[in-house]
Order: sequence, then structure tokens, then C-alpha cells
Amino acid sequence: MIPQIFQTVPIEHFVYLSAVLFVIGVVGVLTRSNAIIIFMSVELMLNAVNLLLVSFSSYHQDPAGQIFVFFIMAVAAAEVAVGLAIITMIYRNTHSVDINDMSRLKG
Amino acid sequence: MMVLIILTAAGILAMFASVFNGRSVVLPVSLSGLFAAGYFALLEWNTNTTYFEAMRMDNFAIAFTVVCLFAAFVFLLLYHYMHYSSDVHYAEVISIILFSLAGVVVMVSFTSMLMLFLGIEILSLSLYILAGLKKKDLLSNEASLKYLLMGAFATGFLLFGIAMLYGATGSFMLSDIAYYLGLHKAVAEPFIVTGIIMLMIGLLFKVAAAPFHFWTPDVYQGAPTLVTGYMATVGKVAAFAALVRVFQLGFSPALETYQFLFAAVAVTTMFIGNITALYQKSVKRMLAYSSISHAGYMLIALMAANEVTNGAVLFYSIAYTLASLLAFAVVAILQQKSGSDEVSVFNGLSKSSPLMSITFAVAMLSLAGIPPTAGFFAKFYVFSAAISDGWVWITVLAIINSFISVYYYFAPVIASYMKKGNEEGIVLATPVKVLLAIIALLTLLIGLLPGSLSYLI
Amino acid sequence: MTAVAWLIPLLPLLGFIINGLGFPKLNKKVAAIIGCGSVLASFAIVCSLFLQSLQTPLNHRIDLYTWIAAGNYTVSFALLIDNLSVIMMMIVTGVGFLIHVYSIGYMKEDEGFGKFFAYLNLFIFFMLLLVMGASFVIMFIGWEGVGLCSYLLIGFWWKNREYSAAANKAFIMNRIGDLGFILAIFMMFAVFGSSDFDKVFPAASAFTTNDSIIIAITLLLFVGAIGKSAQLPLFTWLPDAMAGPTPVSALIHAATMVTAGVYMVARSNILYSIAPVTLAVITVLGTITALFAALIALTQNDIKKVLAYSTVSQLGFMFVALGTSSFDAGIFHVMTHAFFKALLFLGAGSVIHAMSGEQNIRHMGGLKKALPITSFTFLIGTLAISGIPPFAGFFSKDAILTASYFNSTIIFLLLILTSVLTAAYMFRLYFMVFWGDFRGTHHQEEHLHESPQSITIPLIVLALFAAIGGFFGLPEIFGNHNWIHHYLSPVFSQNTRIMAHADSVMIEWLLVAFSLVVIVPVMWLAYQRYALKTVKVTLSEEQLPFWYKLSLHKFYVDELYDYGIVKPLSALAGLFSVAVEKKMIDGTVNGLGSITLFLSSQLRKIQTGNTGFYVFAMVAGMVLMLLFALAKLNVF
Repeated sequence: MIPQIFQTVPIEHFVYLSAVLFVIGVVGVLTRSNAIIIFMSVELMLNAVNLLLVSFSSYHQDPAGQIFVFFIMAVAAAEVAVGLAIITMIYRNTHSVDINDMSRLKG
Repeated sequence: MMVLIILTAAGILAMFASVFNGRSVVLPVSLSGLFAAGYFALLEWNTNTTYFEAMRMDNFAIAFTVVCLFAAFVFLLLYHYMHYSSDVHYAEVISIILFSLAGVVVMVSFTSMLMLFLGIEILSLSLYILAGLKKKDLLSNEASLKYLLMGAFATGFLLFGIAMLYGATGSFMLSDIAYYLGLHKAVAEPFIVTGIIMLMIGLLFKVAAAPFHFWTPDVYQGAPTLVTGYMATVGKVAAFAALVRVFQLGFSPALETYQFLFAAVAVTTMFIGNITALYQKSVKRMLAYSSISHAGYMLIALMAANEVTNGAVLFYSIAYTLASLLAFAVVAILQQKSGSDEVSVFNGLSKSSPLMSITFAVAMLSLAGIPPTAGFFAKFYVFSAAISDGWVWITVLAIINSFISVYYYFAPVIASYMKKGNEEGIVLATPVKVLLAIIALLTLLIGLLPGSLSYLI
Repeated sequence: MTAVAWLIPLLPLLGFIINGLGFPKLNKKVAAIIGCGSVLASFAIVCSLFLQSLQTPLNHRIDLYTWIAAGNYTVSFALLIDNLSVIMMMIVTGVGFLIHVYSIGYMKEDEGFGKFFAYLNLFIFFMLLLVMGASFVIMFIGWEGVGLCSYLLIGFWWKNREYSAAANKAFIMNRIGDLGFILAIFMMFAVFGSSDFDKVFPAASAFTTNDSIIIAITLLLFVGAIGKSAQLPLFTWLPDAMAGPTPVSALIHAATMVTAGVYMVARSNILYSIAPVTLAVITVLGTITALFAALIALTQNDIKKVLAYSTVSQLGFMFVALGTSSFDAGIFHVMTHAFFKALLFLGAGSVIHAMSGEQNIRHMGGLKKALPITSFTFLIGTLAISGIPPFAGFFSKDAILTASYFNSTIIFLLLILTSVLTAAYMFRLYFMVFWGDFRGTHHQEEHLHESPQSITIPLIVLALFAAIGGFFGLPEIFGNHNWIHHYLSPVFSQNTRIMAHADSVMIEWLLVAFSLVVIVPVMWLAYQRYALKTVKVTLSEEQLPFWYKLSLHKFYVDELYDYGIVKPLSALAGLFSVAVEKKMIDGTVNGLGSITLFLSSQLRKIQTGNTGFYVFAMVAGMVLMLLFALAKLNVF
């Protein structure tokens, strides 16, 4: 059920790729100040995890990893729904989605 | 399983009730849902029923479920009496609470990492929405956005950790992971170490341990006060149960990889929480820092990882939940009345509402860990868990911390008893009064008879 | 009667609950009846226990219920009734009851009347728990509870900032002591697996003398006693605590709470006997405290401050008794001191009442005409504390002096000197207040009156005990039976390491002679100086000799703490905060808390409100944790 091609590529390569994707996501969260871009970066982190899970799933010949990926996709979709709602709400009030403007709560 | 079905069904019913103009049935439906869920949870006491190898209702899970249901019950009643007429989204709020409880039940009873992830997300998504309930309030907006962004970020770490562990062990089941760790003594494998630490970070974020605590004060302050109370009790206790479950059931064979990290995080958390709390003028923010410091104390029990850990964490959770419920309830009521959450709103409270001032004082005594309240024994159990494994230095630091905390916990109590303020009486609905009195009495009762609880687990 | 002994602490607790819930609706008369009645009922039960203990020594443990069970540790909520706890209960409920009665008259105008009685009852409850507890944990609960009540009562009149500062000072200094106590409890759990007296003491007996663990435990416990019983260097809170209402000073800060440290050391005498090093520390510290406080008391002008320093000094005496292993002499002095010091404080309260709130003795004088009962009873108290035979203080102080004579000549001589100073400052006080000419305002003079009966009756009763209380512990050489020594011997005779010393006839007669030969001239000097000559109403600082200023300013200890600890920390904090953010330190830098507050003010700046920074902190934390974990496992 798992295409042979995936098993010929060494597992390390998948791990490196997804680690790099994950770090790109983390750096995106760290450096950007637009809430939507930050959100996209978080999605990138989640997708890096998805890739990792799928590759381990094929490596272990175990479908559980792929099922997990579906759950992550579903939850990420729900998270995006909630997240975009919140960002829209804020945009209505302040006409900005810059998180650097969001520092009224501190101390 | 019945518990989950009932909670979700009650949530759906509550949501539809508002569509069909049935606001008045929302509270009866949701409260009976809570009671039924509690009943079915207790039915499974001592049975260890396993559901599809994904969840197991062991006594640990049931005890934490009941604690969270109780906290939700208090929250629902308070919300009803404070916002029934003023909040157009009344029914939706209550249904979100019920949905979040489904997440809580999953979080405290999972045996598979998949369920851990789902439970955390169900609870967190509900909390993101609840934090932003006041749509026109910029602070509430900011709290909601901060919580969402950082929460999603932390989820990324959690998932990465789960994926790494899956890669190393080939399973999501806690028992399989524990078996693998025990068998291979493979604690030095980078995959395992990275996996455990990433997962730990994801969960430490949820319990607000330093240095992953930064969201807590801002979100707690910005969110509506009752929601803050809900986050600080149910949100934190459920996350702690999940943390204990993962590490006690899944990772304990690899204790040496992470024990010193827990020790370091616990100490940092206690000091940051307690010391920063000293300077706060807003009681809500002070309670937020206090809740950070309590995560530090509980982490000590987790770090000790011995046979008393689970009991100590449960006891601490109960004591902390009761006291926090009282504290946030009083702050919420005062804030609704005066529009401020500064220490000065407590001035003269002993005159304007003796009940609120005495229950608040009990809550503060318990949080400060002064006998004979539940909080004292909560700390006692935690410290004895640490001491019995020879962790003396961390216990000493924790005791010093609990002395520091007395200083800020007493500020509002002193204000309510010793300072003059508005002496106009505050009228409370009778059920709210009864509720406050019962929680305060429970706190004292557990302080007088702590033995009765410690046999539970 | 031991079957109902659990009622003893319960009754005052009930009184507290009724008065606390009833305030302010309950009428003053009812509040007074409940407040006094509950203590009187307890006292009645204690009396019957006492009568029982006279026939057969009591040693009865009441297990109410198992309180804590954590792993191998269990703590049961148990009370211990033995001769030592009975005598302490007699003092707490007996003197406590008299002070309750006194408070009816003293506080009758106060709007917080009901609240005051509620607090007093709560105090009695915790104090009884402290002396009745059968384990260190229960004792600690009482210990914390009395501290809380003391804090509430010092700040009872929240009129000015000074009072709240005094309450805070007491609180913080006591916290330092409590830290020692709780650490000692944890050590006991670690070493003996329990904190119950009947487990700890037998287990400790197996240790060799000067075992380092026992020394550590006893020293930590003693740190607790230093805080609670106001010994050097944590004594400055007690004089400041005089801000509270006078009955509180009498009950808490003279007769009962401050002697808790003495009781605790006496209770754990078995532990202390194993650690002679700690005993030596106690002796030396007690002696220095006694002398030091007496020197300060010589020049104080506030009537309550003089008595407060005298309390510190007398507590020093008690600790010398403990340090020289005469535990029964220590408890004996606790008892007589409770009588005469409560009497003196209540007398002072009566004077302050008559003087419309004036506390400066330089504004008093000649009060014996207007206040005959107060004056007479105060004289008895003064004679008792000065150690004039046959009043109570002579015999108890005499027992301590004898014990110290066999311990060290230097200690003995210093204590003798302290006794002389005691007589000097007490007679100075007495003559300045009650003799000579009135030096107050005209308005005060018109207002002078003897206090109502609810105040004078407790004075008379206490005066009676201050006069005859010494006969409970008459030394054997007077041909009598030393009652208190025999009464307490079932408790202390379990301790096989106490070195008994013979009573020396010579020493006894020497001390009697000494009191007559030295103290009487001191009295006469005080009479010459303060009763016959006109006392200056105000002192000009420049004319005072150096030693006088030193004493007047309490050896600058408060200033020393202020300049040595508080000020540098504040200055440092101010420097940093001016440089970084100006309004950071808003003045509230107080005591040891200042460095924590400073840290707090700095730490909260990390909470910038910027999500980007928060995320950065998380990532930094993650990187650090990964690095440490991987480095620990030698992955690199």
C-alpha cells in the first residue's frame, strides 16, 4: 500500500527536509509581524510535521502515522477558522493586523 | 465514552436552544449534562475501562474529570447569574464550555498520543474563542490573538515531538513507547531526546511554566474575568493531568533525560511567578502570576516521579482549583460592579460583603499554603514527594517561594479588612452565595481532613 | 476529664466563629459574654485536668483523626495532655480569661469591639493548639496561627502608617523564624520519618551527643524561637508591636505568644540535651539579649516600650534557663512572668486609659492619688519583676541565677547585672508615673480617674498571683517541697541527659542578701531621682551623655538594620531604576522585602507585551533545553 519509491529514499533525508521546513516556519514566526503571515508560518510548521509523520509511517510500514496526519489537517483547518475569525475581529476594531501594535497588555 | 457523548450532546443542545429562542432551557440542559457526565464518570471508578486502546478511564482520569466538571459547574452558574441578561452570546458561551470539557475528558484519559493532541486542541480552540468574548474590547482581542498565535506555535512543537517519538518507536501508544524506552534503554538516541523535549515544551506551554509562560499574564488579564477563572482552573489542571499522564505512563523509563530539566523549569517558574506577582496592582494579573508559580510547585511533584507523584498532583490540583475558583469569582463580581480589578476595589469589602471578604481570605490563605487550609497540605504532599527522593535543595527553594507569596496574597485581604472603602452592600444571588460558602468550606474541610482525599489514587 | 480535653481548644474556636460571623450585628454585651465565656469554660476544663494531674501525673495522647497520609509519612491530629501542657494551658486560659474581662472595659468605646473579641478567641484557640499539639506539625499550625492573630491585632487600629509598618515588621521577622521551624520539621521527617513527639524523642535518644543532624535540627528550631520570642537579632519587632491595643500587648506580647519559643525548646528538651552546642548558643544569646534589652529599657520614655524591652529581657532570662538545662526553671519563669508582666501591661493600659491615650511617662507623674488600685497593683508587679523576696519574680529568677551559677560565672555575673538594671528601670518607671508632680496638660489632669471594675478586678487577681506565685517553686533549701520541679518532673525526667545540680544553700542566701543589699539601694536611688526631684518633660539631646543616647536610641539597632540592609538595597534599587525607568521604585521598599521587590520590578519588564519577544523566549528556552539534554547524554 505504500509506494516502493518512498522506501528507497533513506529516512534521514525526510527527517532533514521536514526539520528544515519546521525551522523555516519557526523563523517565520520569529521574524514577521503580520498576524496572517505568522499564522501561515505556523501552518508550515504543522505541514513539516505532516511530512515527517508520513515518511515515518512508510518507514515503519505502519498506517497509524498517516491517519494522524489526517487529524492534524482537520484540526489545522479548525484552527485556521478560529484564527481568521479572531484576526478579522481585530481588524474591524483597529484596522491593523500587526502584532507589534498589540502590546497594551504587559508588565 | 458515555461522558464524552453526554457532554457533546449537551453542548449541541445548548447551542440549538438559542437558535429556537430557548435561552431559559440552556442552564438546565447544561447543568444536567454536567451532572450526568459526572455520574457516568464515577460509575467507571475502579474499572479501568479502556476504549479502543485510545482512552482509559482509570481512577486518575476520573478524578481529574470530576475536578474539571466541578470547576465548570461553578463557572456555568456564575456566568448564568452575571451575564444571563447582558450577554447576547450567552448560549454559545455555555455550549463552547461544554465542548471544551469534552476535550478535557480526552486530555485526562488518553492512552494514545493522537488523543492527547485532539484533547489539547479541542480545549485550546475553545479557550481561544472564550478569551476574545468581548468583541469590542481591545484588550480582550489582544488576549485572544496572542493566545492563538502562541498556542498554535506551541502545538507545532508538541506535534514535532510526537512525530519524532513515533519515528523512533513506531507507535503512538504510551504503553508501547514506555516498553520501547524500557527495553532499549535507548535514552541517548537523539530522536528520543528531541521528541521528549519538544513534547514537554508543548505541554509546559499549556501549564504556563517558565520560560513558556509569557502568554499567561497577558491572556489572563485581557480575557473576561470569569473566562480567566476557567482557564486558570480547568485549562491548567487538565494540561497538568496530561503532562503527568504522558511522563508517568509513557516516559518514566527515560527519567534521567528530563528530570533535571523539570527541576530547572520548576525553580525558574516558581521564582518568576512569585517575584513578578509582588509588583502587580491588578489583582487579576497578580493571580495570573500566582497561577504560574503554582505550576512550578506542581512540577516539583512531577519531577520527583515516584509513587506519591500522582496523588500529590491531584491533591494540589483540587486545592488550587477550589481556591482559584473562589478568587476569580470574587474578582469577577467586584469587577462587574466597579469596573476595575485593582487592589483598591477590595477596600472595605469586609463591610460591604462579609461573605465575599471571608471566602476570598480563605482562598488567599489556601493559595499561600497556610494551615489549616487545603493549600497547606497540597504543598505538604508535593514537598514530601520531593523530600522522599532526597530533593532537599528544591524543597528549600520552594518553601522560600511560598513565604514570598504570602506578601502579595495578603495585600487584597488586608485591603478588605483594614482599609475603608465603599460600604454600600453588594447584593449577590442566593445560589452564588451558597456556592461561595460551599467552596470555602470545602477548602477548609480538606485542610482539616486531608487524609480522606489522599487515598483516592 | 481527659475525654473532653478536645473541647478546650474547640470552645474558643466556637467563640471566634460566633463573634466573627456575628460582627457587627451582634451587640457588644453578647459578644463580650461569648468571648469571655468560651475562654472561661475552657479554663474550667483545664482546672479539672490540673486537679487530676496533681494526684497522678498525666501523660495522655488524644488521637482525633489521621490527618495526613503521604507515602510513608502519617501525621495524626493528636493532642498531648501532660503536666507541661497542662501548666501552659492554665497560663493561657487563666491569664487569657482575665485579659478578656479586662478588654470589656478597655475596648468598650471601640467600634470594632466584636471583631476584637473574635480575634482574641482565635488567638486563644491557636495558642492552645500550639501547647497541646502532640507533634511538631500541629505545634507549627498553632505557631503560624498565633503569628497571624498577632499580625491582625497589632494592626487592629489601622489609624496610621506606622501601625501597619509595625505589623509588617512583626510579620516579616516572624517569617524568618518560621522558615527555620519548617525546615526543622522537614528534617525531622527525613531523619525520623515523623514529627510526633512520641516518635521523634525516643528515636533521637539513640543519637550520640553533638550529632550534627540533631544540632542542625535544634538550631533550626531555635531560629524559630528567636523570631517568635524576640531574641537577638530578631527582637526589634516586639517593641514596635506595642502599636496594638494594650490587652493585646499583655496577652500576646507578654504573657503567652512570645513564650511559645520557650515552651517549644522545653518540650523538645530531649533533642536539645543531645546538642550541648545548641544549648551553649541559647545560653549566650539569652544572656546578651537580657542585658541588651535591659540597657535599652533604662531610658525609654514610652510606658509600653519600657515594658516591651523588659519582656525581651525576661525572655532572655528564660532562654538562659533552657540553655543551662533547667527546663523547669524556664517554665516556672514563664508562669511568674505571665502573672507580673500581664499585670504590668494591664496596669499600663489603665494608666493610658486614664491619661486619655498619653503614653509618654515624662508627661505623667503623681498618678497614685487618682489611680490608687492601679498604682498599688503596679507596685506589686514592679516588686515581682525586680526580684524582691517574697514576690513571684524572685523565686523564678533565683532558680535561673542558681542554674547559671553552676554553668558559667560570667553568665551568672551578667545576669546579676541585668537584675540590677531591671530593678532600676522598673522603679524609674514606677516612680515617674505614680509619684512626683503631674506633668501632663490641664485637660488630662481633669480627666484623671480610676478605671472601671472590669479593669481593676483583673488587676487585683493578677497582683495576688504576682505576689504569691513564687511559692509554687520555693527552693528546697527553705525546707519546702519545690512544687513545680516535682510537678514537671514526669516530663523532664524522661530526659536522661539533664545534668542535675544540687541546690546550694549558700547561693540561695547569697541571692536573698543580694536583693536586699543591692536592689534596695537601687530602689532608693530611683526614688531620689524620679519621685523627689522634678522630672524634665522634654530632653535636649545635646546635653545627654553618650551612653544615655546610646540606650535611648536602642543602640541604634533599628538604624543599623535600616542603614545596613534596607537603605543600601533601596539605594541600589533606586540607582538602577532611575537609570532604566524613573518611576519604578515608588518608595515601598521595606525591610528584607526590598530586594525581592526590586527583582520584581525588574522581572516584570521582561513581560514586554510583544508577542515576537515571547515567541523568541520560547525558542531560546527550547534551544537551551535541547542543548543541555543532548550534551548531558554526550550526543555531540
